[in-house]
Amino acid sequence: MRTLVFIPAWNEEDSLAGVIADVRRAIPEADLLVVDDGSTDATVERAREAGAIVASLPFNQGLGAALQTGYLYALRNGYDVCAHLDADGQHPPEEVARLLAEVTADRADLVIGSRYHAGAVADSGDYRPTFSRRIGTSVFRFFLTLATRQRFTDTTSGMRAANRRVMALFSRHYSPDFAEIESLQLAVRQGLRVEELPVRMLERTGGSSFLTPLRSAFFIFKGLVVLLVGQFRPRHAEAER
Amino acid sequence: MSLLPVAANAGQVHLTSQTRIVAAVLALFFMLMILELIRRDRLQERYSVIWFVAGLGMLAGAAFPGLLEVVANLMGVRNTNVALFSIVLLLLLGLALNFSVIMSRQAAQITRLAQERAIERALAEKRAGERPNGNGSGQQALQPEEQRFES
Repeated sequence: MRTLVFIPAWNEEDSLAGVIADVRRAIPEADLLVVDDGSTDATVERAREAGAIVASLPFNQGLGAALQTGYLYALRNGYDVCAHLDADGQHPPEEVARLLAEVTADRADLVIGSRYHAGAVADSGDYRPTFSRRIGTSVFRFFLTLATRQRFTDTTSGMRAANRRVMALFSRHYSPDFAEIESLQLAVRQGLRVEELPVRMLERTGGSSFLTPLRSAFFIFKGLVVLLVGQFRPRHAEAER
Repeated sequence: MSLLPVAANAGQVHLTSQTRIVAAVLALFFMLMILELIRRDRLQERYSVIWFVAGLGMLAGAAFPGLLEVVANLMGVRNTNVALFSIVLLLLLGLALNFSVIMSRQAAQITRLAQERAIERALAEKRAGERPNGNGSGQQALQPEEQRFES
């Protein structure tokens, strides 16, 4: 079983080296790729120093494009399973290992690490979401559940594990604008087994959240439009091309 | 001044020969400009078709003012001015949408290009890292390409 763990990073020089070291320790068998999304700081150097392979996008393309780069890399290089986590240190790699185990055991095609899932609440004292994030989360949770008829609690989680079926789908189609939510909707509509696993998340160690109330409102509105449009997409992406 | 008579006897288009000549010259000039842009590689043929259609439309309007009246009647619009502005507005709206579509396609292509390049380079670096003492070679080989991109 060849495993790739990739980390999308955009100006994360402070936290990246620590995250890479943690992943190395928790998932020693995995290859490590950092997808640098046009960083202007020392992100690339930090990643190289820490011994990761770096795929550097020549200019900032957004999280969706960065994640898609990771999926494409995994697909092209014959990895059986892949996982990704955020570069800001919110995601403990031990939890990523648990997600990978689910995919390796073939219990699901795509596994999402959820910080809100019932099982996670008890021991998630480390993570306190802000007010606007809580509103956004519940709105998306409601509509995504409505759209997919499957219960999702953490729709924007950036901690996921996937097999080759998902790599093939996501490397072909991955919304650059609204990656997290649309990708879930797409995967469910394509008949893939998507599963949520309760995970523990930490406060970020570097950088700051981009969410202000106004941005949150716009973010939510955009998300709803994307979800609505997604409902009209063909069920099989193969039919599209 | 010129609007009033048109509004008064709506349904009839009165153009002096002077306005018609000016309009025709403008249309011809417009199409020549498109041609020149293509010739200088500033505009691609596939994006020029719509502009030639627009130019021909202008020319037709100048040569046969009665055409506008026919179109207005077909649209069920009494006032030919309203018909003209509606047509132009719709045409521009269509063009703007067309550009958004082209832009989206190109954005997707640029993203894929960036991703391909990132992956290629990561693989080249990986290979260079596996070979002894070949660390910087992958980067050096790619430098001329970057310079070409700048210019």
